[in-house]
Amino acid sequence: MSGTILENLSGRKLSILVSSLMLCQVACFLMGGLYAPVPAGHQTVVGIKCRDVPGRQNDTNFFLYSRGNGACKSLQDMDIEQDPLKMANQLVYVFQMPLPRDNRTLDYSRWQQNLIGVLQVDIAYDSSSELREPPKELQLTIDTRLAYRNKKDADTDWKLYAHSVEQRYLDCHAAHVGLLETLYTCDIIPLFELGALHHNFYLLNLRFPIDTPKRMNLQFGHMHDLTLTAIHQNGGFTQVWLLLKTLLFPFVVGIMIWFWRRVHILQRSPALLEYMLLYLGGALSFLNLPLEYLTLSIEMPYMLLLSDVRQGIFYAMLLSFWLVFAGEHMLIQDTPNKSTIRSRYWKHLSAVVVGCISLFVFDICERGVQLRNPFYSIWTTPLGAKVAMSFIVLAGVSAAIYFLFLCFMVWKVFKDIGDKRTSLPSMSQARRLHYEGLIYRFKFLMLATLLCAGLTVAGFIMGQMAEGHWKWNEDIEIQLTSAFLTGVYGMWNIYIFALIILYAPSHKQWPTMRHSDETTQSNENIVASAASEEIEFSNLPSDSNPSEISSLTSFTRKVAFD
Amino acid sequence: MDLSYIFIVCLLALCSADAESKQKSGRGRGSMWWGIAKVGEPNNISPISTGIMYMDPAIHSTLRRKQRRLVRDNPGVLGALVKGANMAISECQHQFRNRRWNCSTRNFLRGKNLFGKIVDRGCRETGFIYAITSAAVTHSIARACSEGTIESCTCDYSHQTRSPQANHQAGSVAGVRDWEWGGCSDNIGFGFKFSREFVDTGERGRNLREKMNLHNNEAGRAHVQAEMRQECKCHGMSGSCTVKTCWMRLANFRVIGDNLKARFDGATRVQVSNSLRQSSNAVAVVSPNAAGSNSVVGGVSGGGNGLPASVSGYDDEERMLNDHMPELLLDNSHPNGKQHHPNMPSPNSLPVAGARARGHGRGRQGRKHNRYHFQLNPHNPEHKPPGPKDIVYLEPSPSFCEKNLRQGILGTHGRQCNDTSLGVDGCDLMCCGRGYRTQEVVVVERCACTFHWCCEVKCKLCRTKKIIHTCL
Repeated sequence: MSGTILENLSGRKLSILVSSLMLCQVACFLMGGLYAPVPAGHQTVVGIKCRDVPGRQNDTNFFLYSRGNGACKSLQDMDIEQDPLKMANQLVYVFQMPLPRDNRTLDYSRWQQNLIGVLQVDIAYDSSSELREPPKELQLTIDTRLAYRNKKDADTDWKLYAHSVEQRYLDCHAAHVGLLETLYTCDIIPLFELGALHHNFYLLNLRFPIDTPKRMNLQFGHMHDLTLTAIHQNGGFTQVWLLLKTLLFPFVVGIMIWFWRRVHILQRSPALLEYMLLYLGGALSFLNLPLEYLTLSIEMPYMLLLSDVRQGIFYAMLLSFWLVFAGEHMLIQDTPNKSTIRSRYWKHLSAVVVGCISLFVFDICERGVQLRNPFYSIWTTPLGAKVAMSFIVLAGVSAAIYFLFLCFMVWKVFKDIGDKRTSLPSMSQARRLHYEGLIYRFKFLMLATLLCAGLTVAGFIMGQMAEGHWKWNEDIEIQLTSAFLTGVYGMWNIYIFALIILYAPSHKQWPTMRHSDETTQSNENIVASAASEEIEFSNLPSDSNPSEISSLTSFTRKVAFD
Repeated sequence: MDLSYIFIVCLLALCSADAESKQKSGRGRGSMWWGIAKVGEPNNISPISTGIMYMDPAIHSTLRRKQRRLVRDNPGVLGALVKGANMAISECQHQFRNRRWNCSTRNFLRGKNLFGKIVDRGCRETGFIYAITSAAVTHSIARACSEGTIESCTCDYSHQTRSPQANHQAGSVAGVRDWEWGGCSDNIGFGFKFSREFVDTGERGRNLREKMNLHNNEAGRAHVQAEMRQECKCHGMSGSCTVKTCWMRLANFRVIGDNLKARFDGATRVQVSNSLRQSSNAVAVVSPNAAGSNSVVGGVSGGGNGLPASVSGYDDEERMLNDHMPELLLDNSHPNGKQHHPNMPSPNSLPVAGARARGHGRGRQGRKHNRYHFQLNPHNPEHKPPGPKDIVYLEPSPSFCEKNLRQGILGTHGRQCNDTSLGVDGCDLMCCGRGYRTQEVVVVERCACTFHWCCEVKCKLCRTKKIIHTCL
């Protein structure tokens, strides 16, 4: 008889396979931990205040910059204090990125992939004026312009990248209460997200137009400091990440081809679980496909969205696979027909579908709109934040339903196995050993899944708790965040790799079973025909057409009738 | 190596001796740089013109040799220093606007101290000036790094393993590789390191006054460090927290000024301890942090030099402050500090950055840390020894009531006061009982402005009457 490779693999070979996969896992972890830098770097840029050039306020091709030839003259706080109007409507906050360091002018590299800007606002309220503290919902109107320049361009040659007038709500709390004025520091506000870091230098010009009839920016006292934190992915991390993807991609594609050829050698249509494995491998390969190489030459602002979508497809596939996997190992089948997704799992999978769609809609609303306007964020308006939150809550609820359902199904499988185990002693010796081995390996795989999921969660929590890096000793320092990311990525690759190998149909025969189990084979025939299933156990002894996906399934189905 | 260092220091001291001959030895020796606040308006100093500015004779006479070298080696730093010095002065004047001593500065003259002769005394006002100027330099250098006006600011490499290929290459190519590989996160530590190098130049910690200056300089920096706050942003898949970036953020200098003023009110009077007299390099003394929890090392014989604790009115306040402020953050004072604070990643990199930067010899670096490695003992042995954030002083302050040019005191004649207040800003205390004059002035201000974007402003002129009291 025959089944999947998992059952026919000897314990020694299995342990060799598992330990070599474990070694790969450790390698993935160490690759991130020892070789890669932190995933993201940042620079904090304090805005330099410059006086606007009269008449150019509405010219979107005019930029003020703080370094290089023709830079604007920066104003000191004292100059602004001395002005009777505190230079209202005359100030431009200039942020030129990246900052020079170590006596060098730095420039962004395309390896650094993306740029996220968050703004920190410090405001002050005069104790003498009627407006002494910020109102509950302090709205800020920002006229924001982002420009770029490349290395070969002249210092003056800034080109507009995006322009927008944005509304942001500030949440401020008092930092210093003085007699003359009260200082407030506000929570960070997201300003922009660039999916493609294609140019060398970026420049941000912010204006805060005050307009009495339109009630714009009337309610914030006066602005002290603006600090922009520009976060980018680190080039080294991108390189390590892409290296990992490039290494994993051919392996997963190769094992998929091998798996599918093996399934096609059999003279039967592939079973549902085999389809699921193939889809899962496909989703993983799509995730592994190192598309990021293209960003080095082409500007792809949709890369953030695309990577979200790729991860989403993969997670959806993985969750669906677990459900189908548990369902296919159910001992008592409701319908005798060969199961398809539509006929049996649409109810189960609807939670996954709903969750994924709501997350996708949320992502389109956030990162999709950012393709048109990088300053857009759904979180900045109260209504948008509610909509976004409701999508996320919907996704969370579907996830909870899914996991409850999955746990129920797994519990049911284990309970059935436990029940039927009592009937094992009545079987013949060889057969009993065989089935016990099968149950053990099924449990082993469940355990592996739980281990992987648990490690992911633990790694995530560890990444949140820990400072980000951890010293082994004086010389070895492990970069925990990167190690977590590469480790988890590698782990799910290895998990699926192992799944595809172990659940591929085996061509090997069960040597000891061949003669001794003739009677049980016929017994199985009877059972199978009684169950009027499409499984052709009669062909099994000849072994030319092994059709059952897993003899464990056959076992469970058979014992269901015992 | 140590011997040669001492030799060089002696040589330097000899060389600069004539330039400071007017100064009393060990008094305001390291504080002449404050004068750069008045040398040039900060506006005139842009990164381009610094090359000319440091040749300016006024700056030349203000700065010590090492400070001149630091300014020369770090283009753009002079502007930040001028800004920092001015920030310190205006903050000091803000904090002391209601006191008899109002942090007045004199017209800057060559060879004279900016704050006047009060600096020659080791009183608590002097301690405050040292702390606030050192804090202001730290703050303004760190800020200038974020503004991009100093190009020599270093990166924070404490969180990243350097790219292997970069190690083979030298010069700027390796640097660019480093930036591309692991980024260049802010190193607020640069401000602290620079402040130590620049501000503490003249203070060698050989006598008590220099130790007081060093302690107060360190206290100023510790307050800047303690007021840094961490901010984080999640930017993983769909904005989830699988990837999180955190950074440190400097507080507004006003907050630091407030804290220092609170420490001024609870300042600790210190005196020479026996161990200090015996070994001038103070190797045997425990670090300030360790001493904060342990007993005092150095065996104070009760009442030492026989001065009574005359200003004991401050003592309870000091005790309270010491109990309430945890001395968490002054890792700087641990020369071998190995512990990491979970929320304060960047400041810890300071000693590391110092060791890596600009090829200082190891022995010299170790020596430098020993300079901060001392413990001051409270004048009243029943009091706690001063913590790293406390301001210390040696002698009680004068009353500041009457003009005394020999001591550098301007007096409170002509100062504004508040006739309703019972505090130091009240007319009774401020004018030292001499009485005050009351005037009514009319202030014309712009008010009720309407704005139109873009770019029109219409304002009314409002007249308000104000009553001003001035001391006779």
